[in-house]
Amino acid sequence: MQIYIHPGDELPIYRQIVRQVTDAIAGGRLASGERLPSHRELALQLVIAPLTVKKAYDELERERLIATQRGRGTFVSESLPAIDPVLKRERLRDAAQRLLSQAALSGVPYQEVLDLLEEIKKGMQP
Amino acid sequence: MNALEFEEIRRAYRKGVDVLNGVTFSIGPGQVVGLLGRNGAGKTTLIRIAMGMIEPQGGRVRVLGLDPRLQPVEVKRRVGYVAEDQILPPYMKVGEILDLHRQLFPTWDEALAQRLLDRFELQREARVSTLSKGTARRAALLCAIAHRPEVLLLDEPASGLDPAARREFLETSIQLLDETGCTILFSSHYMTDIERMADRIVMIHDGRVLIDRDLDELREGFSLALVPRAAGVTRERLLGVAGCLAVRERPDGFHAILRLEPEEARGAVEQQLSVRDVRCQTVVLEDMFVELAGGQS
Repeated sequence: MQIYIHPGDELPIYRQIVRQVTDAIAGGRLASGERLPSHRELALQLVIAPLTVKKAYDELERERLIATQRGRGTFVSESLPAIDPVLKRERLRDAAQRLLSQAALSGVPYQEVLDLLEEIKKGMQP
Repeated sequence: MNALEFEEIRRAYRKGVDVLNGVTFSIGPGQVVGLLGRNGAGKTTLIRIAMGMIEPQGGRVRVLGLDPRLQPVEVKRRVGYVAEDQILPPYMKVGEILDLHRQLFPTWDEALAQRLLDRFELQREARVSTLSKGTARRAALLCAIAHRPEVLLLDEPASGLDPAARREFLETSIQLLDETGCTILFSSHYMTDIERMADRIVMIHDGRVLIDRDLDELREGFSLALVPRAAGVTRERLLGVAGCLAVRERPDGFHAILRLEPEEARGAVEQQLSVRDVRCQTVVLEDMFVELAGGQS
């Protein structure tokens, strides 16, 4: 997968990596068992400190989205974790709130928002 | 053992005008620290003190446990240094400079030097006076790292370089970091370069350390509060809020930096100043720098 980071972004670099890997797994662009670049490979590729990559991978490991196998490398988890349903809802709520505020401000009717979601969903399927 | 230690460092250039007025921090092995501060804040002075090029008038410096004043040769052998205004002898050829360095540094790695020569497209036969600014800086970087230093001191290494040359400079530094795990202290006015490289930020202001934090902690645990003008809102009262580090008065109100996450920051300001409609957010390093440097009393 390709990762693109932007140092002047609102999110610190390690969070940008976490988010992009998470999105790629959620969107099926990264499949279970697929190998991720090593810390050093990704650090050199993105021109960032190796520790930053380590921090991002540590976070992804904590969320059990990836796992490191000694001597072999880092892989997308075989069984992706079931996230606590309450937490899952809370995380989505913020994003949904922003989406609906934006729609209301732009005068986009609710049905169009739903259509848009449908369209994006189709695009995310691998 | 720490790779670098500064303890209560003092240095004035004119009597009574302190540039550094008690600077204290240390850097563990393998850490990459971005040194920030406005022009004239004393970043160059501090780095030169570590190199033993300037003597502090007070305090204690240790580089790899050594005193640069008493063991200057040993320190220079184990440290790499690149500065903005570093000048290689213009009449010498690149190859001659490399030969000289090879003789001076027992740990000189000729294979690495050759690899960097190729990578930087440097010609041994080229005379320094004919090199462009970017090429000369690459030659200086090569000389600074081909002996595989344990500590790398970079003083505005990328200033004056075009974006592509700057990125290449970073790439090479990161490669070295990755291969050798060396400790890096570097000053730069390019905040995006600092975000790419640094684990930790040390900011000097008014001769002292104003901020010493993990970079990501600074990015996520500090907030900018936008406080509208209202009765009872003054710079002094904002500075009185616990965790407030800087306040700038702007045409549209006040900007305050607080050592709190956005939600906590908003709560603290609204409650203590009885004001409403405060907006708080995390900010990028560049804005953090502007607010901190401009918001001191």
